[in-house]
Formats: sequence, C-alpha cells, structure tokens
Amino acid sequence: MKSYMGKVLRVELSSGKVVEEKTKEEWLNKYYGQKGLGFRYLLEDIDPTIDPLSAENEIIFTPGVFAGTIISSGGKLAITSKSPATGTITDGSVGGSIGAEVKYAGYDAIIIKGKAEHLVYLYITPNKAEIRDAEFLRGKGTHQTDFILKKKLKDEEVKIISIGPAGENLVKIACITSELYRQQGRGGIAAVMGSKNLKAIAIKGWKDVTVSNISSFLRAVGEINKKHLLTPDNSWTNSDGTLVFGDFMNDGGILPTRNFQTGVSPTYKRLHSEMIDKRKKGNKACFGCALGCGNYIQVDNIDLEGPEYETLNMVGGNCEISDLKTIVQFNKACDDLGLDTISTGNIVAYIMEMRERGIHDFGISFGDVENYLKLPEKIAYRKGIGNELAEGVRFLSEKYGGKEFAMHVKGLEVPSYDPRGSWGMGLAYATSDRGACHMRAFPITEEVIEKTVDPFTFEGKAKLVIDGQHYNTAKFSIGICDFWALDLNLLARLLNMATGSNTTEEDMAKGGERIWNLGRIFNVMAGFRRKDDTLPERFFSEPLPEGPAKGKVLPKKEFEKTLSEYYQLRGWDEEGVPSKERLQEIEVDKEVIEKFERYLNRR
Amino acid sequence: MKLVLEPEKCTGCKLCELACSAKNESVFNPRKARLKIINRYIEAGREVKGKFCTLCKKCLEVCPTEAITFNGKWLTVDDELCSGCGECVDACPEGIIFLNDEDKAAICNLCEGTPYCVEWCPRKCLKLEVEE
Repeated sequence: MKSYMGKVLRVELSSGKVVEEKTKEEWLNKYYGQKGLGFRYLLEDIDPTIDPLSAENEIIFTPGVFAGTIISSGGKLAITSKSPATGTITDGSVGGSIGAEVKYAGYDAIIIKGKAEHLVYLYITPNKAEIRDAEFLRGKGTHQTDFILKKKLKDEEVKIISIGPAGENLVKIACITSELYRQQGRGGIAAVMGSKNLKAIAIKGWKDVTVSNISSFLRAVGEINKKHLLTPDNSWTNSDGTLVFGDFMNDGGILPTRNFQTGVSPTYKRLHSEMIDKRKKGNKACFGCALGCGNYIQVDNIDLEGPEYETLNMVGGNCEISDLKTIVQFNKACDDLGLDTISTGNIVAYIMEMRERGIHDFGISFGDVENYLKLPEKIAYRKGIGNELAEGVRFLSEKYGGKEFAMHVKGLEVPSYDPRGSWGMGLAYATSDRGACHMRAFPITEEVIEKTVDPFTFEGKAKLVIDGQHYNTAKFSIGICDFWALDLNLLARLLNMATGSNTTEEDMAKGGERIWNLGRIFNVMAGFRRKDDTLPERFFSEPLPEGPAKGKVLPKKEFEKTLSEYYQLRGWDEEGVPSKERLQEIEVDKEVIEKFERYLNRR
Repeated sequence: MKLVLEPEKCTGCKLCELACSAKNESVFNPRKARLKIINRYIEAGREVKGKFCTLCKKCLEVCPTEAITFNGKWLTVDDELCSGCGECVDACPEGIIFLNDEDKAAICNLCEGTPYCVEWCPRKCLKLEVEE
C-alpha cells in the first residue's frame, strides 16, 4: 500500500538474530501505523502478564502513515511496550526526524525483543541492520551519546534515539530521547530499553516514500496547509508553543501547584512571558512540519529547546521553584539523563509534601533550590535517596504512607492538569490505557479552554471522554501530532490521498474505537479491572482552596456512576471487560477476539 | 537569481527538501533534494545553515560532455548528453548534486525561475533573490 514501506525489522537481542518480514498488510487497514500498529504487534507477540523488564517484553517502534511525506506534523515515531511504571500497555511518541528516517530506512515497524549480553546499539540502514557494541557509551547522557555516535559513525546526519543513565539503571520514569530535546516521555519505556542492554538506535535511510498520486497530493496538501494548518487558530504553536496551556489552566484554577495542593500559581505567567519575551531565540521544527513549535531559548550560558508547558509547571510551580534559570538547568539535566520531567516533577513535589506533613523526610522542602538541583542525577544513577525516588510516587506511598496525596493513576504520575476543575479530565485520567495521561482524551478543551461545557458536572462526560479517546487514538495511529487539531473528516481525506484508500470520517472514529479496545484487551489480560480505573484520593476528598474551582472535589459516588456509564457506552461489562459482540461490531480482527475469548474462558 | 536563507528565521523543518524531491523526482526523499538544510544541535549549541546552488558553475566547468549549460539565470542538464560520470557530483562545493535513478546529474535549475522549495517554506525565510 502506498506510503507504507511493506517491511518490518525484527531484532532478537538474546540470539543476535536480525530478520526482515513483510508488514501484515491486513492490519494496516484496521490499525494504520504508530499507536495502532504498535498495539497490534505487541498484542500478537507478548503475553500481557510478563514482567515488563524481562527479556520477553518487546519494544516496538512504529512511524505514522504520513511520516516522510510532506504532510505536516506527521513525522512522529510511536514507541510501544509493556510499561514498567504501570504494567499496562503503553505507547508514546517522539518527534524530531527519527520517524521519517525509519521509513526512509524501509520499515513500517522495528520490533525488538530479548536481552543483549552487554550494552549494544543498533545501526540500521536500508542495506543492513547491525547490533554493535556500545560499552563506550555506558553512563553517558543522551546528549553526549548523540554527539559521540555521530562522530564514531562519521555521519552528522544519522538520526539517533537513545537512553541516558536513567534508562540504563532501570529507572521507572526514564524516557527515550532523540535530537537532545525530543522525548518519548512517559511510562518508563527507556527502562525497557535498559533492561535489554540497548543503549541507542542509529538510523540512516535513503529509500523513497511514495504516495498515491504525487502531483495532486502536493496541490491538495498545499491547499490544506493554507486553509487548515497555517491559520490564526494554530499560530500559538510557533509564537508560544505549549506554554499557552498554562495560562488557560491558571485562569481555570487547575494549574497544579505545591503537589496539587492548589490550582492557582503565583509564578506561571511571569515564567511564561520571561521565556517568550526575553529568552527565546527561535523555533525548531520537527522534520517536515510547518508548525515548528519548539522554543529554542538561552538563559545566561545555558541553551535548551523548551521547557514545554508540562515541564515548566511540574518541575516549577508544582515544586514551588520560581526561577527560570533553575528550572532550565533542571530540565536540561533531565533531558540529558533521560528522565520524564512530568513524573520527575511530580515525585519531587511529593517528597516535598511528605516532609511538610511529617510523613517521611527525604531532606527537601518546597522551594529548596540547592537540593532540588541535585535530584535528577541522584534519580538517574539511583544514588542515595534517588534509588527509591526512581521507583515513582506509587512505590514511595506504599512504603512510607501518604497515599491520599500520591498523585498517580495506575502508577503513572499525574501531569499538569488538576481534574477538580475539569471533571471530564478526571474520567479521562482514570480510564486512560496507560494511567494518568493527558494525551488520551482532553476534555479540558471544552471544559476550561473553550468553556462550552460545564466543568463541574459528570453529565455527558462519559461520551465526551469516549469521543476524545477515539479521536486521539485514530489521530495518533495514522500519525498526526497532538498540536494539529484537524477533524476526522480531514484526517480521513489525508489518509485517502496518501494511500489511495477510501476511508470515511465514520471509519476513523470506528478505527479509534477498535484500537482503544486492543489496549483494553491487553490491560484486562494483564489483570486490570474497574478497581484500577480510579484517581488519587486528594481529587475526591480535598477541595481546591482558591480560584475558579475553589471548594470543588470530584464526588466519588457520581464518579463511580459515570464510570459505569462509560463502560456501558463502550459495550464493556461492569468490570470494564469488552464484550465479544462489540469487538465484532467494531471489526477487531478475528485472531484477537479468539485470543481474548480463550483468555476469558480459562479464567 | 539565486536562493538565499535567513537562518535565524529557519525552523529547520526541511519542507523545502521534501518539496524539491517531490517536484523533481516524484518521490519524498530528502537525499534526492537539490538543496540541503542543516538543522542540528552541536556541542556549541544550535546550528542552522543552508546548502544550495550558488551558481559557482564548477559543475559546468568539469562536465566532460558539455551536458550542463547556463542561460544567464539558471543551470540546465541535458539528459541526453549527460553520461552519469559523476564529475559534477564531486566538484560541487555545496555537495548537493547527485545522480538520480536514471544515473543523470540532478542539479538545481531554480525550477526555471519559480523555485518550489521557496513556495513551500512556511516561514518565508528561503527566498529567491533576483539581481536588478
């Protein structure tokens, strides 16, 4: 099929075997690329009950359908695995150039299994894929890894993704980095790479990516860019980037501050304007994207692409750190060491509050800059207290107490949105396939940004969240970045233009539902049920003290009722187990349905 | 006339490279583009620069079959005369000439005065400079 490459690369690190196989074409029409294809391969290949850090786990790299073409924001690379942070299926995507490069190297997916005897990297070109020694990179940060590997390969243009010491040391919040500042952030997949002794992948491609009819394709994409992409509505992507979100959240009273003790930040607006007005030097784009959202900044002698909104607040106001330079130093350290800044900020704020409440003293209080700046390295190398922090908030709360303010869902730390002022977001966190994630459904758009829906009710939210999950799943499977809010009709049109298929808007929503159910099937088989689809106690019982959401909590009874409604609308039972009828209706492939039936019958 | 880049405005998106390969080779492949944008982090920080035809005409000088001609505005390759020897590829100081799938020299001809790369530049930082 056009715009796909037709081949999958499989690497078995235990035996050193590298094989190519044909992409399962029948899966492309159902699951597309990126998230969908990654989910399908993972569900095919692994037992969902395995230890995520065992050799049996896989890590799957899948570019999107549009990667390598001239469609903007289509170049991301999804990375799918069983998450060591949550035990759920997880996928996250990384920007930059690496997604397109996988296509140019000739692959729709790169699937890695097993465990190498010593630290290795993969070098992949259309001619060969080799497993090479990487002991010389041990302990190196992702930035040095990028520079050293390029020198070693004598190739400045080779594209690299790598893990830092955090991934090598199996830190549960370790992330995968490309081009220094592009991260697959969440769920600790870098620890899966670390567990496989895989330090990096270097890719160089030169194959053609083709589309159905290139001259009409170019004309149409050019028009779509003018009408739907480079519009005033999207200008935030390159003026301020993600930082605009923080102002909306602050105005809505849901900007997490002091470990979610309040939703109003005294510092965010100042940090935002200091970054854009004083420190910004320019934009950096991902490959092939006209939006160009990356803020390249300099603060004194430190340069950085970022901080993104999530980072600026989670390692900033949420830890009561208010100085931009300090935040930038912390951000850069996390990027280099390979740490997810959302989870890191959440964990640091948690231990700060633990001390404040006298639950346990890790020797750091809110706003303690000196000790704060030492933490990324301690966590990444598991030094001193870092060894426990590396296990995440859930682990700390189970060991020391304070579960009610341990801000995680299923072991994934909550990102920078407080659901007490956006009840739909609460349901989105609870039902997300990988724990507390803001990328699965984002009802905050309606509840807080556009204000078209009452944020303090659960009425209509089950459907709102479901629609959002299907929309994002379709979009992240075909492969369009979060930052282009195109509708499903346009998404279908782009897909048809690239592949020559005949997809409709309805097919897209159905495709999103199909893939969402693959995730649920995996998670049910891994043991997840209704009891896991919940939220930290703080959101249920501790009212926000100030701002527009003052006095609000998520009423637990209503939450549970809405969760039932959510399951019903999905055709799942009261425990959140998908029904065979619905799976058939949404055309999940037969093999999956049979596999799931066998699992249910065994129980 | 020639291409010029304002590197401080360039995001490094490389849509210009994709547009070039699409228009001239009918595929998406930056290695088949007749210009190159460098956009990367080096140890000293960020590096952005463009490599494109400066009309130095070294390719024309070394061509043994006189396949390359200059009309006062842009270069043209006569595919019938081009032997695919690759002398021009080696001679190009910008490193942006390559042999295409038919083994013919692929050299920027500024799309005969309306460069497609310029049309696709989202920041309008790649421009066609026309001398008075």
